[in-house]
Amino acid sequence: MGFLNIDNVTKSYGSVEVLHRVDIAVEEGEFLVLVGPSGCGKSTLLNMIAGLEDITTGEISIKGQVMNGVHPSKRNIAMVFQSYALYPNMTVGQNITFGLEMHGVAKPERDKAMADVARLLQIEQLLDRKPGQLSGGQRQRVAMGRALVRDPDVFLFDEPLSNLDAKLRVDMRTEIKKLHQKLGTTIVYVTHDQIEAMTLSTRIAVMNGGYVQQLGTPKEIYDTPANIFVASFMGSPSMNLIPATIVDKDGAAHAEITDASGNAKHLRFSGGGLSGQDGRGIILGVRPESITDMEGADRKSTNIETITNTVGVTEPAGSDTFVTSQMSGRECIARMRADAEVRPGATIEFAVNMDKALVFDPQTEERVV
Amino acid sequence: MAANATPDFRTRLQTWLPKLVLSPSLAMVLVFVYGFIGFTVYVSFTNSRILPFVGPDGQPTHDLIGFTNYAKLFSLSHWEISLTNMAIFAGLYIVICTLIGLILAILLDQKIRGEGFLRPLYLYPMALSFIVTGTAWKWFLDPGIGLENIMQTWGWESFSFDWIKNRDFAIYTIVLAAVWQTSGFVMAMFLAGLRGIDNEILKAAQMDGASNWNLYRRIIIPQLRPAFLSAFVILAHLAIKTFDLVIAMTGGGPGRATELPATFMYSYTFSRNQMGIGASSAVIMLMTIAAIMIPYLYAELREKK
Amino acid sequence: MAVATQDTAIRTGRFARALIYLVLLLFVLFYMLPLYVMLVNSVKPLSEITGGGMMALPQVWTLEPWAKAWSTAQIGVQPTGLRPYFWNSISMVVPAVAISTVLGALNGYVLTKWRFRGDTILFGLMLFACFIPFQIVLIPMAAVLGFLGLSGSTAGLVLVHVVYGVGFSTLYFRNYYAVFPTELVRAAQIDGAGFFQIFWRILVPSSGPIAVVCIIWQFTNIWNDFLFGASFASGDGAPMTVALNNLVQSSTGVKEYNVHFAGAILAALPTLLVYIVAGRYFVRGLMAGSVKG
Repeated sequence: MGFLNIDNVTKSYGSVEVLHRVDIAVEEGEFLVLVGPSGCGKSTLLNMIAGLEDITTGEISIKGQVMNGVHPSKRNIAMVFQSYALYPNMTVGQNITFGLEMHGVAKPERDKAMADVARLLQIEQLLDRKPGQLSGGQRQRVAMGRALVRDPDVFLFDEPLSNLDAKLRVDMRTEIKKLHQKLGTTIVYVTHDQIEAMTLSTRIAVMNGGYVQQLGTPKEIYDTPANIFVASFMGSPSMNLIPATIVDKDGAAHAEITDASGNAKHLRFSGGGLSGQDGRGIILGVRPESITDMEGADRKSTNIETITNTVGVTEPAGSDTFVTSQMSGRECIARMRADAEVRPGATIEFAVNMDKALVFDPQTEERVV
Repeated sequence: MAANATPDFRTRLQTWLPKLVLSPSLAMVLVFVYGFIGFTVYVSFTNSRILPFVGPDGQPTHDLIGFTNYAKLFSLSHWEISLTNMAIFAGLYIVICTLIGLILAILLDQKIRGEGFLRPLYLYPMALSFIVTGTAWKWFLDPGIGLENIMQTWGWESFSFDWIKNRDFAIYTIVLAAVWQTSGFVMAMFLAGLRGIDNEILKAAQMDGASNWNLYRRIIIPQLRPAFLSAFVILAHLAIKTFDLVIAMTGGGPGRATELPATFMYSYTFSRNQMGIGASSAVIMLMTIAAIMIPYLYAELREKK
Repeated sequence: MAVATQDTAIRTGRFARALIYLVLLLFVLFYMLPLYVMLVNSVKPLSEITGGGMMALPQVWTLEPWAKAWSTAQIGVQPTGLRPYFWNSISMVVPAVAISTVLGALNGYVLTKWRFRGDTILFGLMLFACFIPFQIVLIPMAAVLGFLGLSGSTAGLVLVHVVYGVGFSTLYFRNYYAVFPTELVRAAQIDGAGFFQIFWRILVPSSGPIAVVCIIWQFTNIWNDFLFGASFASGDGAPMTVALNNLVQSSTGVKEYNVHFAGAILAALPTLLVYIVAGRYFVRGLMAGSVKG
């Protein structure tokens, strides 16, 4: 039984089920990120935790108290909205204390709580302004202040950074993370941005089509994705998914793929999990950083396989250079050092770190190894 | 507060409050609009002549007579004149208003200096009562003191303009006054439509070598379809409801030359004590408007969903 | 040639522009004509009008027709002038506008922020009510007002105008609140604000512009109404429009055109004033009632 318990929860609109049997137990102090493409049900789930949408079946409880049917204001939660939802007619100070006022907290206490929060978020000089006079980052802070002042059991964040420009988004991300470490609060955070999910969370629930595809720590999600959807959704550029066949050769299982010219190439699998499955069709999953030039290959790896192939396009990105090539007819991205000398059309050696290679079943799309 | 006694009470109250708040208005509309429509339909099937419907002895003062009123209605020359007048009036009113509105809007859209000064002058008639403007037109068009008299005083002795007193032409004076009142509004609708057109499309069309004439004919006016539709619907429903203007200008005369269904209904119901027939004419009016408005509103509301 | 940087794509020559201005000014004359006729003839003696000088400026300026129209002209059988009817209209229009606007605001709030199954149909029903020919409700309304003892009274007219005005006021507020961010309502819910607190503290403070639009529209419509006034309050309780019509149509005695014109301006003055002061909002209301969104 978690601090925030989502137990077998479904949501239907009419006869259409949009959220299927979600089970998540969130411990106190955890930072859970719900991530997925738009329409995956993550915001619906968040709104159900907040009490803004009814629960069709199942149960949501906070601190052991069942919350089904309880009014949002009685759940001891606070929420930061995508648009910040600052009341335009009230000052920053009034915005922050509105919730306390509604809960009948006396004025002196409200003012004290407001002062504390304003100091924490460094928005003291903004308290008398109207939201319309604030910058995006300042609004974001005020919205967080409004949530913090309530001292809730659970914080809910609904894509709070998506309205900020790229630079500010990174800054605020760090700030939210600091705040979480400092206050140790329990947070449920919805985003469609997988980098936000990876950097902020202690655990991630990857959602798609109304299902939780995988629930785990960022490392688990990244290194051992449960299926092709999770593998390709998390990570940027996304994982290369190469159709391959298992071939037994020299007593070990190899993945047979083709290069740009259509010649078969064999890559030996690390570990023995796939022996005895000669001829099985699979999807080989390799992240771009596991395909490099020889000099850039991971020295700790036990199994670097090389493949000679023709370079398609190079994309210098400053810190790295991304190099595409055709493997089994698919565009594959390799991540090379910034100063790797690679020219389009040249034939070079790619180093594939097979320790990190994953294997998916093409039919079920589940991970095999 | 008692609301806190049971933990869920407030939540339940909150789910009921919205509907509770909406219900008085809804009840009003259901009774006073839809209930009354039903009632009028009922009256149109009875031989009621005057109010009340229930005599002092508690017995109803009328009998159900089926479609007799409708049959009678369409045999009345008075009603036939009203319908003919309505066709003339509505047709001219809609077409002329649309034309003037469109022309004014296009002209005003040419970066006119003083547009902000001109627009309110075109639109102000909409703020006035038809009784007020009807009075002004009535006397201005009156041959005895108005236009005819003015022209003759100015030296054009043979000038004659007695349309408002002439059975064959009186209806056109109603058209004139009605066009005067609403064409500015139609202009505003078209102007809003014109301002909504992406200027880059126009620039692209010019690069393609389109002349101003072709620009309007091929690019701009076709994009004003929604404005045309709105203008038509609004004008049609205003035309059918036209009542005050006729009362103020001609009282339906001379003779019955400017009777419209709205004035017909009024006089049969309140002056001639033929309530059953009045009711049946009102039902015909409602059905005509419904045939125009319901598809329009349906489309608008669906779009919004 | 037009300057290359001109903002709009349409270019017109010098001659065409002169023509455009000419046409626009001719239309100004057309639209101003009745107002000019009313104004100029309301301040001249009757003899100047009957003598063929309707378009001329007064030779003798006089406020006599205004005074007469206001306080001594024969309306129906009483020589009361339009004054008592003016106050009838005021005491009818103020409560009717206030009530229909408040109801419209609440309805718009519910229909956008507390949506429920079938709300669009309900709104459609209310909206259609704006466009019915009111002849369809005259007979039962007369019966109901008689039954309630409100025939011929201002209170009866207030009721009528609230009932048939609430559709439009709901339309205005619904369209306005539809683009008001729902997240604000949700945030206030989490903050613990109830149904009315959210309305009063969050939505109402932002409703200024649409309230002005709605009030102006209702005021203009109700003030200018003739059909209901003539049907339900033709005697002492008649509104201004009905009294003006009685004045103009009275068949007894000499037709005092100058008094009629003065009376017409008196009846037009309130709405004209509103138009001059807040025409922008009036037009916005007009447009919202036709091309929505």
